[in-house]
Amino acid sequence: MEQKPIKKVLVANRGEIAIRIMRSCREMGIETVAVFSDADRTAMHVRYANEAYNIGPAPSSESYLNMDKIIATAKSSGADAIHPGYGFLSENSRFARRCREEGLRFIGPSPESIEMMGDKISARKKMIAAGVPVVPGTTEKVTSEAEAVKYIREIGLPVMIKASSGGGGKGMRLVKKESQIASSLRAARSEAKTSFGDDALYIEKYIDSPHHIEFQILSDKYGNTVHLFERECSVQRRHQKVVEETPSPIMTPEIREQMGAYAVAAANACQYEGAGTIEFIVDDKLNFYFLEMNTRLQVEHPITERVVGVDLVKEQIRIAEGFELPFRQEDLKQSGHAIECRIYAEDTDNNFMPNPGTITHITEPFGFGIRCDGYVYEGYTIPIYYDSLISKLIVWGRTREDAIERMRRALYEYKITGIKTTIRFLERIMDTPDFRKGEYNTHFIEKNSATLLSEAVYNKKNEDIALIATYAQFMSHLEDSKKTNAAPSEKKETNWKRQLRKFTSRI
Amino acid sequence: MELELKVNKRNAVVKEVKRVGNILTIAVDDVEYEVDIVKVSNQEFSVLYEGRSFNIEVIESKEPKHYNVNTLYSKFDVEVVDNETRYRQSRMQSKLILNDNTIRSPMPGKVVKVFVKPGDIVEAGQPLIVLSAMKMESEFKAGQRGIVKEVPVKEGETVDNDQLLVVIDDIQEK
Repeated sequence: MEQKPIKKVLVANRGEIAIRIMRSCREMGIETVAVFSDADRTAMHVRYANEAYNIGPAPSSESYLNMDKIIATAKSSGADAIHPGYGFLSENSRFARRCREEGLRFIGPSPESIEMMGDKISARKKMIAAGVPVVPGTTEKVTSEAEAVKYIREIGLPVMIKASSGGGGKGMRLVKKESQIASSLRAARSEAKTSFGDDALYIEKYIDSPHHIEFQILSDKYGNTVHLFERECSVQRRHQKVVEETPSPIMTPEIREQMGAYAVAAANACQYEGAGTIEFIVDDKLNFYFLEMNTRLQVEHPITERVVGVDLVKEQIRIAEGFELPFRQEDLKQSGHAIECRIYAEDTDNNFMPNPGTITHITEPFGFGIRCDGYVYEGYTIPIYYDSLISKLIVWGRTREDAIERMRRALYEYKITGIKTTIRFLERIMDTPDFRKGEYNTHFIEKNSATLLSEAVYNKKNEDIALIATYAQFMSHLEDSKKTNAAPSEKKETNWKRQLRKFTSRI
Repeated sequence: MELELKVNKRNAVVKEVKRVGNILTIAVDDVEYEVDIVKVSNQEFSVLYEGRSFNIEVIESKEPKHYNVNTLYSKFDVEVVDNETRYRQSRMQSKLILNDNTIRSPMPGKVVKVFVKPGDIVEAGQPLIVLSAMKMESEFKAGQRGIVKEVPVKEGETVDNDQLLVVIDDIQEK
C-alpha cells in the first residue's frame, strides 16, 4: 500500500472539536477548510481555518448533516480529505461510503466497520465470535412479547431493553418486574422507531452500580492495533458524561492488561482503521463486559493524549495517509494522571436547562498542566441550534491528588459570564468525598445530588460588597455621562489602551 | 451620595461616607465598610475588604437601571431604586398576581410545538408549548385550570430569553 499525503482537510464539524482538529492540521502543514451554517458565521472555527464556506441554514439537518453540500464544498475547495469530528456525520456509514465513491478520503474507519459496530446486535455477535465478553443477553432481535418473556426468564431480572440502532440513552428501558415487560417493550420500540428509524430491539442483563470504562485504540491499514489504555467515564448525568479521568481509580494492572487485549481483539474483529473507542461496563467486582464501540474520535480523547503523549488527531490523519503506526504496544506508557471537566452552557439551578446567549467576559485558566479546548470568545453569541458543550478543561498531575487540586485551581480561575455554565457545579464535584476517594460509579451525581445541587449559601457580607460595587459602577457611569456632556473628546480611548488594560487586569 | 438598591427581596440604602483615593468608606444600611475599590475594566471591580480580595463584575442589563453583579460564587440582580422605579413598582403591584398565569421562556430557543390557541380551556398540568434549545426540548405546562387568552408566538419562531409565550386567564365561573 502506498502513502499518499493529505494536503487539505475539510472539517465537517463546528465548535471546539473543529478547532481542535484544525490545530493538529496546522502543526502538520495541512491546509484547513471550515464549513458553517447561517448561524455560525461568527463562530471561531470559521475564523481559525484557512478557508471557510457557508453550507446552508442553521438547523443541522440542512447544514452540518447535508452530505451533498459538504462533499461539493470539499471538491470545489480542492480538499483531499474530510474529518468528521464527533457527532453529526462521524458515524454515518453512508457518508463514509459517499466520500470513498467521490474520491475523498474519510478520516475514520471504513463504511463496513461503521455499519458492523453501529448495529448493536451485529456488534454483539461479532464480539462473541471474537471471544470478547459481552453483557449476558440476546443475540438476535426480539420480535414478540412471548419471546421477550422467555428470554428475560433465562437472563434473570432486572434487564435492559435496548434499541439495536440506539445510542445516547434513547430507546432504552429498564425492566425490574415481569409485569413491566409489555409496556417497556412497546415504549422502547416506538422510541427506537422515531429516533433511529429502526425498531429492532435486544435484551441485556442490567448491571447494577456500573462503571463506564472505555479503551482508546488505534489501528493502521496494515493490521497493527494498539490500545492507549482506559478512560473512566462514570460521572454522568442522564447518560451525558460530565467528568472523565485516566487512569481509572478502580483499575488494576492485571485487569487493564486483560481489557486492553480484548479492546484490540474487538477492533481487529471489524478490520478497524483509525482511532476508535471500546466501551465496557464494569461491575463493582471488576467483571467487565463489552458495551459498544464508538467508531470516531471521542469528546474526552485529550486525557488520553495527555497521559500517553500521543496526538490522536495526527495519528488519525497519518493512518488515513497510509502510514504504519509509529509505535508498538510496548512503547506506550501511562504517565501521571489526567482529568477532563466538560463545561456546558446550562443552568445547574434550573434542571440543567440549556442556556445559550452572549458571552460578556471570559477568563480562561492558564499555568502548568492546563489545557483548555473551547471555542467561545468575548462578545460571541452561542447559537440555540447545537450542542451545549462550550469548552473542555483538561488538567494533568503527577498523581490523582495533584490532578484534582490542579482542577480545583483551574476551575477557580475559569470565569465565563453572560451565560450560565456548569463551572461551579464541577467545582463541587471536585470537593465531593466520593470523587476524591475515587469511590464512585454511574450513580455518583444522583447519590450526591444534595450537596452537588445545593444553592449558594446566603452571605450578607458578599451581598453588601456586591452592592458597594454596584454603587461604584453607577457613580462611574454618572461621571462618564457628565464628562461626555462637558468635553466629548476626553471620553475617547484608543483601542490598544483598552486592550492593554484588559490584559493587565488579568494578571 | 446616597443610593437605594434592590437585591432579591431586600431594599438597601448605600451611603458614601468618605472617599480618599481608592479608599471608600461606605454604609450599607447600618453597617459601615471601609474598602479599597478600583475599576479594572469597563465592567469589573477589584475590591479589597479586610485584606480579602474580591473580583466583581457589574454588567448593565438590558433593562435600564438594572445591573447583573457577579462574584465568584454568587450572582445578584441589582436594581437602582429611584422615584421613577418606585412609581412603576406600585403600579405593577396589582398586576403581579397575574404572573402565575403567564409562561415566559427561561432561555433563548425555538418554538417547536404549540398545543393551544386562544379560547381553549386548559387543565393544570396540560402541555401548552414546547421549546427547543441546544438539542434539548422542554415542555411547558399550565400551572392551573384556565382559559388561554393569548399565544403571541407560533411554531418555528425563535424566541428570546424571558419572552412571553402563553397567557392564561381565570375562568369566570357562573
